[in-house]
Amino acid sequence: MGASNFLILSSIVFAIGLLGIFVNRKNMIIILMSIELMLLAVNINFVGFSYVYNDLSGQLFSMFILVVAAAEAAVGLAILTIFFKNKGTITVDKISKMKG
Amino acid sequence: MFFNIFSAILIVSSLMVILSRNAVYSVLFLVFTFLNASIIFLISNAEFLAMTLVIVYVGAVAVLFLFVVMMLNINSTKIKEGLLKYLPFGVLLTLVFVGELYVIFQGESLGFVTPKIDIEELFQNGNSNTKAIGLYLYTDYFIIFQMSAYVLLVAMIGAIVLAYKDKRFIKSQNIYIQNTVRKEDLIKLIDSKKK
Repeated sequence: MGASNFLILSSIVFAIGLLGIFVNRKNMIIILMSIELMLLAVNINFVGFSYVYNDLSGQLFSMFILVVAAAEAAVGLAILTIFFKNKGTITVDKISKMKG
Repeated sequence: MFFNIFSAILIVSSLMVILSRNAVYSVLFLVFTFLNASIIFLISNAEFLAMTLVIVYVGAVAVLFLFVVMMLNINSTKIKEGLLKYLPFGVLLTLVFVGELYVIFQGESLGFVTPKIDIEELFQNGNSNTKAIGLYLYTDYFIIFQMSAYVLLVAMIGAIVLAYKDKRFIKSQNIYIQNTVRKEDLIKLIDSKKK
């Protein structure tokens, strides 16, 4: 396993996460899941380079990414539930109340 | 060998996350994706991080997602309506992104870098992976460790405040009131010389 294997895997997973944001216009939960996939791709990159270079810093930084991902999921889902309570839908196209 | 097998499963299951019709299946495929990622972490000698991924993601985040999906009770038949409308644009943008990554990394030799925190040396001194992470997390990275604790605290307070039921604190926009407002309601003319 060289660095290229990890780079290819993480870039594919990141691209799938990016595609998920564009494909799902009807369900905001799946967009949040796509963001989780992108953060996982970043984690895979950090752990991969930590393995290739025998350096522990990548694993340490990956833990902080886990913290940020957990915080983001909690706040995002809270916003989602409060939005569903107000509007009765979570369709992304319908989020236009501010008329910006 | 094992890396290729599990990364293939990871890619297929992460595709199923964004393409499956039912949101519950999406969450379950997300769990499967994270399990495969934790196996890849295990292959890469990051045992503590693999177990943390299972505990944090499969145990907490995915269950939170599943809870929200089941609580909101969304009509699953209408979810895939806009798929064909946005798919070409999304595929084009993704291909551009992957192409840019390929252009950046092709022919680039990464070379040898002297490790700052050498895993090999730590391992030969009799430290396991978990102990090695603890040795550096509580000393050199202590400030960042505390900052991440504050991030979690702020996220917890934010989630509680958002989901709090008391209506007095909720500021909501009412478009009807905004559009029917007249200038007499807002501006009052006062004759200052009269006094």
